[in-house]
Amino acid sequence: MNRTLVNSLGSIKREFMNFSHSQKFYFFLAVMAIVAIMPLFVSDYVVGEVLTPMIIFAIYASSWNLLASSGQGSLGHAAFLGIGGFASALLAIKSGIPPIIGLFLGSLLSAAIGLLIGLACVRLKAWFLAMVTFGFSVIIVTIFSQFDDFTGAVMGFRTPLIVERGVPFYYMAFTFAAVSIFIMYLIMKSKLGLAFRAIHQNEAEAKMIGINTGKYRLIAFVISTFFAGLAGGLYAQSIQYIQNFIFEPYYSFLPLMMAVIGGLGTIEGPIIGSVIIRAIESYLPSIDSALDGLLHPLFPSVNHVGPPLRMLGLGVFLIAVVIFAPKGVAPLIRKAYNYLRSSTSEEKT
Amino acid sequence: MITSSGIVEALLWGVANGCIYILLATGLNIIFGVMKLVNFAHGQLLMIGAYIAFAAATALGLNAYIAILVAMGVVALIGVGLERFTFRRVLGTDKLNEIFVSLGLIYVFENAAVLLWGNRSQQIASPFQGLQLSLGQVSIGYDRLLAISVVIVILIALFLLLKKTKIGLAMRATSQKSTASMLMGVNIEKVYIFTFALGAALAGAAGALYGIIFPFNPGIGALPTIKAFAIIIIGGLGSIPGAVIGGLLYGIAENTAVYFLGGIWQDAIAFALLIIVLVIKPTGIFGEKGE
Repeated sequence: MNRTLVNSLGSIKREFMNFSHSQKFYFFLAVMAIVAIMPLFVSDYVVGEVLTPMIIFAIYASSWNLLASSGQGSLGHAAFLGIGGFASALLAIKSGIPPIIGLFLGSLLSAAIGLLIGLACVRLKAWFLAMVTFGFSVIIVTIFSQFDDFTGAVMGFRTPLIVERGVPFYYMAFTFAAVSIFIMYLIMKSKLGLAFRAIHQNEAEAKMIGINTGKYRLIAFVISTFFAGLAGGLYAQSIQYIQNFIFEPYYSFLPLMMAVIGGLGTIEGPIIGSVIIRAIESYLPSIDSALDGLLHPLFPSVNHVGPPLRMLGLGVFLIAVVIFAPKGVAPLIRKAYNYLRSSTSEEKT
Repeated sequence: MITSSGIVEALLWGVANGCIYILLATGLNIIFGVMKLVNFAHGQLLMIGAYIAFAAATALGLNAYIAILVAMGVVALIGVGLERFTFRRVLGTDKLNEIFVSLGLIYVFENAAVLLWGNRSQQIASPFQGLQLSLGQVSIGYDRLLAISVVIVILIALFLLLKKTKIGLAMRATSQKSTASMLMGVNIEKVYIFTFALGAALAGAAGALYGIIFPFNPGIGALPTIKAFAIIIIGGLGSIPGAVIGGLLYGIAENTAVYFLGGIWQDAIAFALLIIVLVIKPTGIFGEKGE
């Protein structure tokens, strides 16, 4: 285990050196700069209710994406989002430690439980792994409700904040997101990521060329659940409330949708997916009242046509992406970027 | 209070609930056996089946038990569409793609049901509603008894279909080795469509029975899927007798757990069983070879 660790760390360090000298680095800096100055141009409401969730869900979707890159598609990631959220808030409230330490400890706890679930999953094929993870996300609701005296999960409670909500919180979430997504990028580029992809493509062959598939699948599980827990802790703070609803299948399916729509296995995919889906969920409801007037005669049994119609549309969108653009929308953006770069370099020559 | 008649009743009700899950698990199992495909939206087909039967019973005034046939037919047609337009496109690519497509289908079905029928809980009106058969201190509803017999009839018909007909032979051949059966002149695409429609029809029948016994709403589909999975895993992948035994064991386990531990454990037990069996014996209790 130690040698793998040293090797992978060395490989991650090498990737970091490569990255800091590449063109991507400048692109990365440009994106960071744009995200950093965003609050100057939009209202505080947009910063708090649209941009902050986008950033937090980008971490969450990236963590799911990292696990999926090893061929393990979790359908119960909400369990780890919730564990991170509850643990970080409960630790801060019950033991009085600063919320930021609670956030780290909560993520570590999420990773520890991820290790246990990962141990149950390492031998399983894709379908069963999906079922077991989904099942775990349902069991955990029962467990949290059973120990309601300690968790307070049935009624929910206010979460302690690291910094006040709004613009300060945005910058904090942004810092966390930049660091964690960068770490995940380095991991996926390193030898670890290569092993993950080999396992995804063909586990038997990966085993044959000497990859200890069980170990690498577990490593993917632990890293992924750590960042999912971190996202959960941040999310609970961003809405300043946590309750059992965080375990709902909706939160398990969300990172999957984001990663698949954006582009599975790429680093930018989950981020793009998070931006697309959160934008849809933040802005499309504004046409709900118009929709109700228009479509209510067609669907008389529902009071509000908008939400189910939107979800139905998301489902169709997901299926269409999987069938017609299995690499998601990220390659399209990459293509556009390459096109722009080649046309500018032509101008220079 | 725990009494012997209470335990007998829990067992009997467990058998009745188990029957519904047997149908669902058998459908899932047939599709998996022939196509090596797992449809996570199978429970949503059950939900759609319940609504179709409900619509047939209320709008057309059909008897609830005749509405089961309508539900089977309509859901089978939906199954044909699903196979043709979604799953066939991703079959044989990355296994994760099948999971993604089923997830999209879950969204589509649940929200289409909300749009068409609303969020309220419904139940199919059966002519035997509220009637109980009492044997000493043990009593069971007529509807539950009828559900058990309907499931037995369907399973016998299914057995005959698989063992005695040409398409059944083709399905069994395809499940063993699809390329070899293709070389022997089996039209694989037709077999796939038929298999998926058959599995969907079983889910539709399960849905109609579910709707007669329990109240339902558009969100009920997810749990039956997982229960069907647990049953398949207990019974062994691809084995129909295994699904029957697994379903009965599961229904009984669930009901006795509710009887001894209380209602909130009803759903958790499915996952506990699923995870325990997968960790201890990933091929299932009756399964022989791993997939």
